[in-house]
Amino acid sequence: MTKLSVEAKVGVFVVIGMIILAYMSTRVGRIQYTGDRGYEVYAYFDSAEGIVEGGPVEIAGVEIGHIKDISLEAGKARVVFQINPKVRIGEDTEAVIRTKGVLGDKYVELVLGAPNARPVKSGGRIERTQSPANIDNLLKQLSSIGTDIKEITQSLSGVLGGKEGEASLRNIVDNFRQASDQLREMVVSFNQITEKINRGEGTIGKLINEEETVDNINTTLTSINDYLQKEERFRTYVDYRGEYLFDSNDMKSYLSLRIQPKEDKYYLLQLVDDPAGKKKVTETTTTTGGGSPSTEYREEIEKDELKFSAQIAKRYYNLGLRGGLFESTGGVGADYYFLDDRLILSLEAFDFDPDRNPHLKFKADFTPLHYIYITGGFDDFISDEGNESVFVGAGLRFSDEDLKTLLSDAPIPNTR
Amino acid sequence: MIIKTIEIIGLALIRFIEEFGRVMFLFLATIVWMFRLPFRLHAIFKQMEFVGVNSLLVVILTGTFTGAVLALQAYHGFRLFSAESLVGSTVALAMTRELGPVLTSLMVTGRAGSAMAAELGTMRVTEQIDALYTMAANPIKYLVVPRVIAGVLMLPVLTIIADFVGIIGGYIVGVGLLNINSGIYIDKMIEIVELDDIFNGLVKAACFGLILSLVGCYKGFYTTGGAQGVGRATTQAVVIASVSILISDYFLTAAMF
Repeated sequence: MTKLSVEAKVGVFVVIGMIILAYMSTRVGRIQYTGDRGYEVYAYFDSAEGIVEGGPVEIAGVEIGHIKDISLEAGKARVVFQINPKVRIGEDTEAVIRTKGVLGDKYVELVLGAPNARPVKSGGRIERTQSPANIDNLLKQLSSIGTDIKEITQSLSGVLGGKEGEASLRNIVDNFRQASDQLREMVVSFNQITEKINRGEGTIGKLINEEETVDNINTTLTSINDYLQKEERFRTYVDYRGEYLFDSNDMKSYLSLRIQPKEDKYYLLQLVDDPAGKKKVTETTTTTGGGSPSTEYREEIEKDELKFSAQIAKRYYNLGLRGGLFESTGGVGADYYFLDDRLILSLEAFDFDPDRNPHLKFKADFTPLHYIYITGGFDDFISDEGNESVFVGAGLRFSDEDLKTLLSDAPIPNTR
Repeated sequence: MIIKTIEIIGLALIRFIEEFGRVMFLFLATIVWMFRLPFRLHAIFKQMEFVGVNSLLVVILTGTFTGAVLALQAYHGFRLFSAESLVGSTVALAMTRELGPVLTSLMVTGRAGSAMAAELGTMRVTEQIDALYTMAANPIKYLVVPRVIAGVLMLPVLTIIADFVGIIGGYIVGVGLLNINSGIYIDKMIEIVELDDIFNGLVKAACFGLILSLVGCYKGFYTTGGAQGVGRATTQAVVIASVSILISDYFLTAAMF
């Protein structure tokens, strides 16, 4: 083996060094995207925080270019991308600055839009951009929200907490109790008024209780209707319905006249034939000599009496509210309209008496045909006198258009 | 007493400046003689073999084990916050930017810098350098220039080898012993290490090569005091060159990165 010359040894040594250097350089260097291969597009970002020149540009996690230049223009960051010529991006592409890795390296992700969008030309602009969420800003917002919440709870505890707050709360409850007492009294006196009307006392009572009045009202209303016919929204409906009560095995009938001057408002006059009869309470005050006056209440049930309803109703979108006389007592009701008013759910509450539960009635009316409807529900379901009953029934409803012919040809049905 | 103390300080400063000036003069003379014909290529190659090729084994050993121990230490640190994947890049960055050039230079200082001082010192005390003058052969051209050229050229080559074997040493420990995923290890390394890191390390190595060969030659060239003087010159050459390398390393790093 011949001995290597000095020059050969040094030469080999240097060549090895050069090879290692070249190998490491190619591995480490970013030679894939050096030079001006590809085309340039640019975008404006509110903030280019974290991205660097030479940083990657990716689509779906695949590197397709790099950031060529970052500069400030009119308060915004103008970022120029160099993109691989094989990759086409549409005009509706969105450039988003995203974070990757534990260390929070920032890169630009292009989110492609519709596949058939027009491609961005070389030197063109990507319009839609999204800057990185600044953690500082987020924290600032969160802490200001926290401060707001704290203020609210503080002022709440200032109002409600402490002795003063307790006192005012108690005050509110007391006021409420007083108000409900007064309401009860009001209902009682209202009851008395309606009873008087029922007994035919006073003008209203006479008016309502006499048969001919009904006829009169009807004819009057018909003529009013005729007069107001041009008024489009003015409508009158006559309605008869029967409800079969399962528990008492009886039929409850209603005859109603509904005058509807406006789409969202109507007046309802109704005669009710209730098998349970009408309750009549007589109050007798006797004063014996020297003693205090003693009052005696007597309840009578008059099976043959008709009940009378007179209500005013107002409708808000799908919700209707009613108030007035319900079966000869004061009450309120709510209706909810479904399916173009063909299905109506109603809840009525009336006959408020301090000694009894009020009369609650739930019903659902469904109108499959123009004139005919079917009904079903639960009457007086919190009764404490055993009057609760499920019912089903059907009814006929005619509008004034139909009514005109009916009234002229047919007699008004006798409700008795 | 006080004046004596101040005198000592002053003398030290004057000596330092004197010595620094003489090194600079030697450096200037070297540059001047470097470009004067004839180029003594064979002498340069001999020095390159001595400084470079013969230092290969010691540099490979140093580099490998430095990289390995670096991986081991970095792993224990990074494991605290689950960043084991960064061990590779840490080793590679440390080797290319810092440890490769510095450790190689220190090893070569110990091996070749001391030898230069001893060789030239012996020639000085045995009046061989004076003999060269009488033969009209400039001793700077004949003795110093080849050594300086060899130092400047060979140190980067040794450094790139040290970087490489250091990274391999780190890889063996990180992937082989500590079970870091090989793909992630290499990928992270490639991602984080830049071309500039390697090249700046090589520039540093060239500067260190200049320092160690120049200091070695200077100490040997101006040796006085017989065999004892040669020993002192050798020691001083190694100490001064090592310290100068470490100090200039700071300033080079600050200027480069």
